Amino acid sequence: MSVLSVKDLRVRYSANGPEILKGISFELQSDDFLAMIGPSGAGKSTLIRCINRLVEPTGGEIVLLGEDVRALRPSELRRLRRNVGMIFQEFNLINRMSVMDNVLSGRLGYTGNLRSLFRHFPKKDIEKALYYLDRVGLTDHVDKRADALSGGQRQRVGIARALMQTPKLLLLDEPTSALDPKISREVMALIMGIAKELGVPALCNIHDVQLAKEFCNRIVGLQDGVKKFDGETATLRDRDLEEIYAMEVL
Amino acid sequence: MTEHAGRIQRSQAPKTWSRYRFPESLWRFGAVLAIIVFLGYSMAFMNVDIGLLFGALGGLLGVIGTRFYPPDIAYVLDAGYLASILDTLQMSFLGGMAGVALAIPLAWFSAWNVSPHRRVLFPLGRLGVISARAIHETIWTILFVSVLGFGMLAGVSALTMFCIGFAGKLFSDEIEAVDMGPVEAMRATGANSLQVFLFAVVPQVRVAFTGIAIYTWDVAFRAATVVGFFGGGGMGWYLKRNVQQLENLRVGAIILSIIAMVLVAEFISGWLRAAVNRAK
Repeated sequence: MSVLSVKDLRVRYSANGPEILKGISFELQSDDFLAMIGPSGAGKSTLIRCINRLVEPTGGEIVLLGEDVRALRPSELRRLRRNVGMIFQEFNLINRMSVMDNVLSGRLGYTGNLRSLFRHFPKKDIEKALYYLDRVGLTDHVDKRADALSGGQRQRVGIARALMQTPKLLLLDEPTSALDPKISREVMALIMGIAKELGVPALCNIHDVQLAKEFCNRIVGLQDGVKKFDGETATLRDRDLEEIYAMEVL
Repeated sequence: MTEHAGRIQRSQAPKTWSRYRFPESLWRFGAVLAIIVFLGYSMAFMNVDIGLLFGALGGLLGVIGTRFYPPDIAYVLDAGYLASILDTLQMSFLGGMAGVALAIPLAWFSAWNVSPHRRVLFPLGRLGVISARAIHETIWTILFVSVLGFGMLAGVSALTMFCIGFAGKLFSDEIEAVDMGPVEAMRATGANSLQVFLFAVVPQVRVAFTGIAIYTWDVAFRAATVVGFFGGGGMGWYLKRNVQQLENLRVGAIILSIIAMVLVAEFISGWLRAAVNRAK
């Protein structure tokens, strides 16, 4: 079953600016862990942000969970965003808040203004937060400030925050680029394990081809805003990589 | 993006380097020259006599020595006047609090990056802050005095407007400088713009806002003496009365008391702001 379908997606940041995405099309199935690979500046981050409209596309069609994303009004868009967990390269945590508050902020889409003002989340949300904090191994750090944690721990907070949304899709924007190789593997394994456990498909921007091959069942290759490859991981050949990265693969 | 590893094009290395090259250097030196020429022209045009200015400085000291000295210190220690100092303090405090409270939402509306509504609330927020700034505090006082009559209410209202303009601009600059990463993350969870403001913006600007609020009170206290002069009550009112009655020795003492209170306010504000920064 297709969870996400993107057709002829086009993006320009300004009317006269260069076209960042030049007509991208792909599908994401409900059991996919899809890697989006490509060199810096290929448009991977822009593409992933179009899916929940953090970036407004200038052309094409996005159908997510059966809804035409580009046609949604602001309140409908917020309701759709609740269903899409996002994890970022730079974690994007709120540094001056506690780990607990950061994780609870994943519930904002389900929380009213008055509760948000006093950061008074329902008991059920707190129990859920404690469960996911335990799941990502941060039970001992609940009350610490987010900026007191190490990189790997911060990304785990980011993962717990995304899971709080009870997502139907995970968007991962270079989740391991700020981490060292060992922690990168741990974090990828954790995300994949949870995604499989919850039966949630994921779209993962990643520039580390090795990690992509290791964890993802499908790969889409992007270069300069154009799709250069789309297929099962096993079918990715060196000459495909050569074309995506336009360089010799050692 | 289009440069590929191992294929970077090399060009001839230049032999020399200078910080300002021809077209830019002409602009820089031309601008400095123009400022100097304009200054000289203005002085000549207005017949500014530097010698007279220095002469007048001596005259000023003479006037102060003969008319305002010795200041009537007993007058400023009188209970009525001391109460007016307290009035001024309360005016600046109330005006500062109300101004800061109103400036926060206006600053939020008028910060382009997180404004809740770019087409309606953004221009309204900007308009609010700019119009509060555009009118000087003395003019606000005159306006409010004409509507509300003489006294503290008019003074507090004028100070509130002054503080909205002062703090609103600083607040919105601060909001526009936040790290957009957390903002993006909160938007991605489906949070609305109020929730984004509360969770992604407020934690980042809280310390700076506290510092600005204290500074606003300090500036409002100074403005409060002027506001009083134009009918807003407090120390400025006493100043005006004594100036009009030519009670120069009392005027001297009042000015001294204003200087002393402003110094105290500045000291307290500086100390508080340093404490806030340490608590970061």
